[in-house]
Amino acid sequence: MQYFINFIVKFKEYFTFVALVIISLSLISMGSVSKIGGLRTIMIGTMGQLQGVFSWIPNPGAVQSENRALRELNLQLSTEVTKMRQSLLENERLKKLLELKESTEYEMIACEIVGKSSVEMRNYITVNKGENFGIKKGMVARTDAGIVGLVIAVSGNYSLIELIANRNVKISANIIRNNIDGIISWQGEDYFVINNIPNSFDVKPGDEVVTSNYSNKYPPDIPVGLITKAEVDKSSMFMKIVMRSYVNFQTLEQLFIVKYIANEERQRLLEEIEMKLQIKKSEK
Amino acid sequence: MKLMFDPIKSKNVTQNYIIYGAVAIILSLLQISLLNLIEVKGITPDLLLILVVWITLAEGQFTGLFFGFGIGLLFDFITLDVIGTNALTKTIAAFFVGYFYKEGYVSERLGSFFFVLITLVTAVIHNLIYYIFYIRLSDLNYLDFFIRYGLATSAYTGVFAIIAMLLNIPRKQINR
Repeated sequence: MQYFINFIVKFKEYFTFVALVIISLSLISMGSVSKIGGLRTIMIGTMGQLQGVFSWIPNPGAVQSENRALRELNLQLSTEVTKMRQSLLENERLKKLLELKESTEYEMIACEIVGKSSVEMRNYITVNKGENFGIKKGMVARTDAGIVGLVIAVSGNYSLIELIANRNVKISANIIRNNIDGIISWQGEDYFVINNIPNSFDVKPGDEVVTSNYSNKYPPDIPVGLITKAEVDKSSMFMKIVMRSYVNFQTLEQLFIVKYIANEERQRLLEEIEMKLQIKKSEK
Repeated sequence: MKLMFDPIKSKNVTQNYIIYGAVAIILSLLQISLLNLIEVKGITPDLLLILVVWITLAEGQFTGLFFGFGIGLLFDFITLDVIGTNALTKTIAAFFVGYFYKEGYVSERLGSFFFVLITLVTAVIHNLIYYIFYIRLSDLNYLDFFIRYGLATSAYTGVFAIIAMLLNIPRKQINR
């Protein structure tokens, strides 16, 4: 017995290390960020308040970058306004001809960003409005430029938004010029890749990308970004497409929460199918 | 008979542990509330990893393992990461750093570039493991992402380790 105790004491570091690694791996297999418990929601409120206290501190880099982005946007918008006026008239005429319904306008809630968390390449922001203002988990955040992210947790007066610039976010998107659909995923900084577009399709740099009708999380036709690179990949069936987000995530200060939650029935159906597939997999 | 329990030493150890715990909480709050001000292209230094390296070099591998695990767990909780990810990576980091602990040379090691070097190497190991979990649900290329972000984060953490090293220099001089 004494020998056994001595053995344990002698190698206590190794035993402790193995035990802690096993505990960590068990915890990892148990939960993910989407399953935020009540305790974490309290945490968000607390963190929101804390971040609110420090939100007055200016970030010179961000201000400079925002000014540059705004000047570019201003230039771009002024040329587009003229085009838009013409397009609007033409659009009205065509709508009447085709008897299309007016697209639905979603109500929006303006919010101030009180905190940004960029920890180990995970990007979240906290805004100063929550449940008390009608914000719910699953609503979409956007700016005038385009899509920002999704509300993943809310407390009374704060909401936590997961930016689209996160590794586990996938967006069903549509290239406007030729109505091609693909899946967008983050590649780092403001860049994204568009997957599942065959080599034979006509995609060019400069093509505009919006959210697709097929998305089960985001409302359709919200601007996402501009294609910066589109190359035929000879080693695969699909093109290599890189897109830059319209939103400059470094300089965000205000945003809107779109009062839109994807169809719950559709969500439920997808979850049921996913569950069935998982059961089938585990049976095999 | 050899004295197994030294009350004075035990009191100092407990005091140190309480200080480490308090510093861990303060650094966690700093990490998520103020560090975006010094963010460079989405990259921030890992203050808690520096603390884990510090504690392990000051207290040894055994204590470092517990603090690595505890600090990682705290960090997972407040950063909404998958619970256990940072606990695992910081435990492994503490285990690695533990091999460089040498009793009687604590101040020398904490107050020299040895500390910065160890932090840098540990940060690379920490990020190598962390990004396996980070990438697993995505289409991102592990190697490409690690080279772009993992190494940059490690270097930034190393820069901040210099500040921690400088904090220890007066203590080193007083001890002499």
